[in-house]
Parts: sequence; structure tokens; C-alpha cells
Amino acid sequence: MKIIKTMAFGVGLVLSAQISQAADSGFTLETVNPEADRVALQNYFKKRFPDAELNDYVNGIYAVDSNSREQWEEIEEFPPYEFAVEEGEVLFNTTFANGKGYADCFENGGIGIRQNFPYWSKEEGTVKTLEMEINECREANGEKVLKWSKGDIAKVSAYMAWTSRDQIIDIKLPENDAGAMAAYLDGKKFFYAKRGQLNLSCANCHVQGANIRIRADLPSPQLGHTSHFPVFRSKWGELGTLHRRYSGCHKDSRSHPLKPQTETFRNLEYFQSYMNNGLAINGPGARK
Amino acid sequence: MKKALILVAALTLVPTFVAAESFENAYLQARAMYGPGAVFEWNGKQYAAVHEEEAEADIAATAENARMMVDKAKAKNKEVAELGFEWKLTRGIIKDAESALTTGEYRKALDLAAQAKYHARMGIKQYHYAQSNWQLSVPQ
Repeated sequence: MKIIKTMAFGVGLVLSAQISQAADSGFTLETVNPEADRVALQNYFKKRFPDAELNDYVNGIYAVDSNSREQWEEIEEFPPYEFAVEEGEVLFNTTFANGKGYADCFENGGIGIRQNFPYWSKEEGTVKTLEMEINECREANGEKVLKWSKGDIAKVSAYMAWTSRDQIIDIKLPENDAGAMAAYLDGKKFFYAKRGQLNLSCANCHVQGANIRIRADLPSPQLGHTSHFPVFRSKWGELGTLHRRYSGCHKDSRSHPLKPQTETFRNLEYFQSYMNNGLAINGPGARK
Repeated sequence: MKKALILVAALTLVPTFVAAESFENAYLQARAMYGPGAVFEWNGKQYAAVHEEEAEADIAATAENARMMVDKAKAKNKEVAELGFEWKLTRGIIKDAESALTTGEYRKALDLAAQAKYHARMGIKQYHYAQSNWQLSVPQ
């Protein structure tokens, strides 16, 4: 009898450990806790890179690798995105055929608002990104929509990011809104799920693999992703949107990439941007 | 008390040891070390490390069989695409299989279709694994 009691106690201990682990997880709609996720991610990187300043994570790999930073600082002396920002400003201020313009579609005339995107639209039941609203603005005013990944949409978005520099990222997750939470969880799940022929998750490179060489490249830490988009990548030789980068990353894991602005990518942007709450917008950026 | 704890520990660890010696592990190890078709022993019996699709494609190289295999690959890839876990190269491999079928290279078509179907099946397996394991690398 004594042995049975002891065994029951032992089994109880093992099970309670598993149950308490599950209760802390935040992996279901009932348990997911975005704020706990954000703090845990910050703590993870503080531990990984104790010398890096939290606010510096908006600079990607340059926050944690001094050699790369030196090169990047030299590039930033003559920012390669500068002309695109100027072109973006012209495009932004050019009126549509009906006499209206982008400023009529956005709060505060579209100036200094990048930090609030993406957001959850309760009415539409979906995550809305800045690029999505740029095209919706065009459509509502009888203009042709722009292609999602590069070109004019990236330029307009770059100008809007430029006017928002130093604004603090403030992504909202409305309380008691299961739809918003489900979108966040979907983005989180996408980020951490392994996929593609190389069996890699986003996290494999940008959490565990941050600043660890993949051939000649050093992947950036997840914290701070999204703050500097759109970016001028040396590899592209031009500006590109965040979703262009998502497609590229997705392809790099040898997955068949999703199209820009699909619901999954918007949810991913929602999750990633929430992780950056409290950091400053510094787009557009320059990257390798 | 001590005996009881050992028993609890053994009960907890048994599944781990069983998993370490699973058929899948033995199969994958043999294939990785000695290549496709390698013979390996598991639980006293001998097996060949051949993918399900390789066995399926090991049939007469006829137009009918090659078409059937290409159709199977397409169907499987559609299934994985719907789950959002389609691999990058699969569509291209299916396209190459179809080209081989058109030019009468039935053996090539069979082998390429088998490869594409394998990709799709692995993508589906990856999807199911992700459903219960995606959270493993989330910082806590």
C-alpha cells in the first residue's frame, strides 16, 4: 500500500509538471498572452546579447555585430533610400484624377502614423497593413492598385515611414476580441513552425540562429524586425516592402512562398510588430 | 520508497528509449548512411530503406503508369498546398515529370513524379508535426 501511495505521488509529480508547463505556454486562443510573449522575447535577447541596447534592436544585425555595424554606418552616410523617399513624397502629394489624395485616406493626413500599423479591423475582421490601405485608398479614388512588393508602393510607404521616424510602435490588440487574438496567434504560430524542404522556422534563424552565420550571412534578431521597413536592400538594389522580404525568407527555407498581403503574412506582420511595441520606427532602412 | 521511485522513473523514461529505437530512426539512419535501398535490421528482421514512392514507381515504365504517378504527385501536392506547407521545388519537379511523359521518357517521368510525391508527403508530415510542436522554440 505504501509503495502504491509513493508511486501515485511520483506519477502525480510528473503529471503536474506537464500540466503546469502547458498552463504557462500561451499557445492556444485561451492561454495566449501577447504581453508575456513580448517580455519573454526581450529577456531572451537581453540574455543572448547582454551588451546590446534594447532600443538599438531596430537596427537589426547591426545592434549585435560590430563589424557589420561599421559597414552599415558608412552606408548610412549617404543613405541609398534617400531618392526613393523623395520620390515617395512626390507620389504621396500628387493628387488623384478625382482631386483627392493619399492624405484624405489616412488619419493626420498620413503623416507620422506608421507606428500604428498593422492594426486589427473589427469591422472587416482582418489585419490591415499600411500597404493594404495605400492600395485601398487608390481603389476608393478610382486609381489602379499598385503591385505589392516594390516600386511606387514601397516609395509611398517609405515616405510615410520617414515622417514617422522616432514614433514609438504601438500595436493594439483589442481586449475581448477573439478575432484579433486569433490573428496574433496565427502569426505567432507561423513564425515558430518549421516548414519547407530545409525544415526551418523563422525562429530558427531569427531567434535561436540570430547572429550565427548561415554561410556568409548573419541573421538579424527577431526583436526590431518590421521597424525599418520598407528597406533598401543592397541585394535588391532598390526598395522593397516587408512582405517582399517575407516571401524571400519563405523561399529561403525552400517553401513555396505565399503572396504578399495574404492573410497569413498580414497576421505574421501583426505578431512581429506587436513584439516591437515600445521601440521606435526607423524606416526606411538600408540592409545588405 | 527507493524501489518505487526507480519504477516511476523507468515508466517515465521507457517511451523515450522506445522512440530512440523506432523503425523510422533505423530506416532514416540506414538511408542516410548507405543510400536508397540500403538493407537494415530492425527488431530481428531485415528491411530495405526505400521510400514509399520509390516502391510505387518501381513498375513497368509505360505511358499509363507514368501518367498515373504524375497524377498522384499532383494530387498530393494539392493536398499539402492547401495546408500551407508546400515545398518550393515540387511544382517544378512535377512540370519536369510531365515534360518527360510528353517526350516518352517514362522511367524518368515515374522517378520525378515519385520524388515530387515524396516532397508533398513530407510537407504533410511536417504540417502535422508543426501542429503539436511549433511552440517548442518560443522563448518563455
